[in-house]
This record gives sequence, C-alpha cells and structure tokens, in this order.
Amino acid sequence: MNSLRLAVGLALSTLGTLGLGALGLPAAPDLFLLPVGDTARRGGAPLAMLAGLLAGLIEDLVSVPGRLLGLHAFTKVLVGYVLATIAARMVVEKPAAVGGLLAGAVVVESLALVLLLWVLRGEALLPAPLLVLVRAAVTGLLAGALQAASRVPWRERREARRRMKLG
Amino acid sequence: MSTPPLTSRRPEILLAILLSACLVALSLQVRRPTGETVGERWLQSLLAPFVDAVTGVRAARSDLGEWSSSRRALLSENRRLRATAEALEAELLHLRDVERDRDRLLALLGAHPTPPAGTVAARLVAVESTGPFRTALLDRGADDGIRPGAVVVAAEGLVGRVVAVGAGTARVQLLSDRVAAAGVLLARHGRAAVARGDGRGGASVLYVPTIEAVEVNDPIVTSGTDGLYPTDLPVGRVLSVTRKADSLFWDIQVAMAADPARTARVFVLPPIRTSDVPAGAAARR
Repeated sequence: MNSLRLAVGLALSTLGTLGLGALGLPAAPDLFLLPVGDTARRGGAPLAMLAGLLAGLIEDLVSVPGRLLGLHAFTKVLVGYVLATIAARMVVEKPAAVGGLLAGAVVVESLALVLLLWVLRGEALLPAPLLVLVRAAVTGLLAGALQAASRVPWRERREARRRMKLG
Repeated sequence: MSTPPLTSRRPEILLAILLSACLVALSLQVRRPTGETVGERWLQSLLAPFVDAVTGVRAARSDLGEWSSSRRALLSENRRLRATAEALEAELLHLRDVERDRDRLLALLGAHPTPPAGTVAARLVAVESTGPFRTALLDRGADDGIRPGAVVVAAEGLVGRVVAVGAGTARVQLLSDRVAAAGVLLARHGRAAVARGDGRGGASVLYVPTIEAVEVNDPIVTSGTDGLYPTDLPVGRVLSVTRKADSLFWDIQVAMAADPARTARVFVLPPIRTSDVPAGAAARR
C-alpha cells in the first residue's frame, strides 16, 4: 500500500513539477519532497531513503537538462533518512507540524546541495536565502494543506450528503 | 521466526550505500578544468599513497642495487688500491734503502775520494762479538776480488781487515778485537804508537810516554808502519787519558771512529804489501 501511495505520489510530483516548470515560477515548491516526507512518516527509514532516491533521480531527470544525475538523489536520500529518524521519535500528524518539518527539510536539502556542489566542484554556490525561505514556506504550506486535507473524512461526508439527497 | 534484513536493522548502512552510490555517480560526471573527472581525481588521490609506496619500493630496490654495485666496485677498488699502496710502500722502502746506500756510498767516496785500484764496495751484513773477539761478515768474497788482508774502511774511518775469505763472503777482524792491533799516530803532535783492541768495542793506545801532552778528543789516525793499513785513516779519538802508578806510559782509551754496528756500506781496499809502506811512515817507524 505504501509502495502504491509512493508511486502515485511520485507520478503526481513529476507532473506537478513539469507544470510548475512550464509556468516558470521563481520559487516553486519542492513537490518531490512531499512523497518522501509522507513515506518517511509512514514506512520507516529504509523505505524513506529509497523513496528519496527515486524522487531525487526523477527530479534530476526532469529538471534543467544537463544537471548532474544523482545530485538530488543524494540530498533526498539524506533528507528521507533525517525525516524518518525524526518521525520515529515524534508524532507528526498535525498539518502545522508536517508543514514545518517539510519546510525545514527544504532548508536542510538546500544546505546539503551547497555542500555537495562544493565538494564536487570545489566552489561554494550559495543560493539566494530569500528564495530558499520562500520555497521552504511554500512547500511547508502545501504539505500542511495536504495533511489537513488528508485528515478530512471525505467518505463520511459524501455518504451523509447522499443520504440527505435521498431523504 | 524470520530475521529482518540488515538494512532494516541498521538503516545507516543503507544510507551509506545509497549516498556512496550517488557520490560515485556524481563524481564520474563532474569534470575538473583539467579534464579529469572528480572520481578519477579521488581515485588518484586514494591510490596515490599506494603508487608512492610502490614507486618508493622500486626506487629503494634500485638504490639498493646501485648501492650494492657501488659497494662491490668500491671493495674491488679498495683491494686494488690497497695492493697498490702496499707495492708503493715496498717500493718506497726499497728506494729509501737505495737512497741510504747511495748516501753512504757518497759519504764513502767523500771520505775516500780516490780509492786505490781493486777497491770493492761491500756491505757489512753481520757483526759478531763473542767474548773478546769482534768480527763482522762482508757480503763480498773471493769471487768479487776480496783477498785476506784487505782493509775495510767506512766513511767514518777504519773498520778492520779481512782475515778469512769465502766465495761470496768474507770475515773481517774489527779493530776493536782483542787480538787486533794497528800502528797509529796521535795526529795533533805526530807521536807514533800502537792501537790495540780492547774486546769491548774500543781500543787502547799503547806506548805513549807520559811526557807527551795527550788530551781527550785528540784524533788518532793510522800511521802505516804496521804494513797492514794505509796511512791517515781515522781510527778514533782519545776518550780518556790516565796514568798508572810507576808507569812511564799513558793509559789511553780510544773511542772508535767507525761503529760497525751502525755502518753498512764499506770500502774494501786491496791488501797492503810491505813494499807499499810509505817512506815517511817507514822513517817514523
């Protein structure tokens, strides 16, 4: 079930990223972080890292052509492990907590990306802090909204609405 | 009951594997300005110590071989130089010996600038002193023209005379022999006397009356009156002059001019015949 959820999440993230890329938003949310965070909260560290690996590889493939394959895979594996470790010790259910966690994950991933590029290329390419913060905030808000939406009993509401129409 | 996989128990292992795989993949894509990938650079850095170690070992082996070869060459050269040094040392000793002989011969020639015909240069090879008898051995004999009665002189003065001749050697009776004697003159005042060996390396001068003023260090030479030795050969110097009670003659001890123990090169003069005695000496006699 988790695998199916992950596959659907990755597919939606890919479509969303492509769509947002087409819009050319300056600080688009990190959609691939959402299935990774979801898997980390539900499936444990190994599955979260594998989810991070898949999400990162797909992100590297669909991102700007010519980027390094494995760059986001590295950072997302790391973020998946961190998120899974945190989720194993805390209860992260509230939308605000999920949003905050993923916003922090965006910042951590940005830092890991800078560090990795510095190791590989020998030069520190610091991103604009404001962009990182906006991206983290947008990603956190989106994650919080999705978490809030997932907590709504949609089936019961639909059943109740149907019974009202019949009655 | 099944055991969970290792990665489930230790997610850090899976994390390390995945991160390493990503890092390797990235390192193979990123190229440095020099053209090599980061992975190649890392691999080179990783292998550098081993390469250095192997290079060092090869260099050490080469150095060792060179050292061994140099050592063999040095040992060989050392042996050769040692042999050369020994040969040169032997040659040096020989040359010093020759130089000494030359100096002695020059001294002999200086002392006797016109040796008579038949004079033979010889070497005293042994000096024997058994009791009162004092003799020496010459390295020349009858084959070299040495005859009994030949006079042996050194640069410093009279040594003795030949008393026995072999084919290649000759026996010399030294003047210090107890039974050796020679006619002498006290050169300072021309007083004739007889010198007689004392058997102890010196001689005594006999028959000098006490009215003669004899002093220590007075030179004594041969007088030629004995028919054995030519005239004016240095015999020695007066060592001491004493007078015994009721004696009419001085008791004179002589320090010999030539020391056979320290004299190697000598001239062997042909024997003196009686007819060769000079007229002046005969008159003094």
